[in-house]
Amino acid sequence: MGFSVSGSAVLIFVAAFIGFGMFYTATATSFEQITDARGAQADNTLEQQNTEIQITDVRYNEAPASGDYVNVTVENTGSTELAVGHVDVLFDSEYQTGYRSAVGDDTTTDLWLPQETLELNATVSQEPSRVKIVTGPGIAVTEVL
Amino acid sequence: MASVSVSHLILFIASMMIAASVAGVFTSSIGQLSGALSEQGLDVSSEVRTDVEIISDSGSNVVYNSSGNDNITLLIKNTGSETLAVDPGVMDILVDGRFATSYGVSRVDGSGNWGQGDVVRVEIDPPQGSLSGDVRVQVTVNGDEEVFEFRA
Repeated sequence: MGFSVSGSAVLIFVAAFIGFGMFYTATATSFEQITDARGAQADNTLEQQNTEIQITDVRYNEAPASGDYVNVTVENTGSTELAVGHVDVLFDSEYQTGYRSAVGDDTTTDLWLPQETLELNATVSQEPSRVKIVTGPGIAVTEVL
Repeated sequence: MASVSVSHLILFIASMMIAASVAGVFTSSIGQLSGALSEQGLDVSSEVRTDVEIISDSGSNVVYNSSGNDNITLLIKNTGSETLAVDPGVMDILVDGRFATSYGVSRVDGSGNWGQGDVVRVEIDPPQGSLSGDVRVQVTVNGDEEVFEFRA
């Protein structure tokens, strides 16, 4: 009987050890993933709260030869660096693509740093009545012409 | 004496078989539980990372019926760190509390997944048919709820 009890106990102990190992690994991995996600979300929220932009000028120009265009000047008045590629431009809620952009005089940069001015130039068929600029973190400003 | 040894051997084999069965069921159950826990962890992590914003201009009059077929057009930007699929299946839409079943999703610029900073256009065919007055649209993407209100 002694061998039977000892042998069974060893089997059960080994199974419990393996089971605890699997459970601990799964729990620790999940906890780490959720903690990482919460950290990333907190960073995003902080970035949103530090983001602020202001439209300083919107100008509609008629150019019969080359097509009418709108110039929008937006200043980064917050304290986060924004990406020009993540800026969205809406004229009367219509998404604009193919517009030209420049930060200061630099047309190649993708960085729009605090206190810098972003110039947007979009070709339009008619004068828009509302201009909305949305930044990467989702902060937006609207200007009514 | 030989009969006692044989009895002990039989009892030993039986107890080992029972212990092995119990151990097998135990590790198998723990394995399934661990798998479920890992999947749940991934899901929760994905939900926490998902954040979208409806960037349509509610003050303009082109959100509803801009193409003349009573559709609602919404622009939704991915502001979270989770990359989503450009597929109607990733979102649930309620128009004035009624579940919308007919809507299309497409990227406004380029193709591929709906990554961070990308915008999709959602064309919703309202379940009510035509709309009038104040309209409330609720979009739920991976647990993140966004509400957009406008005048039809």
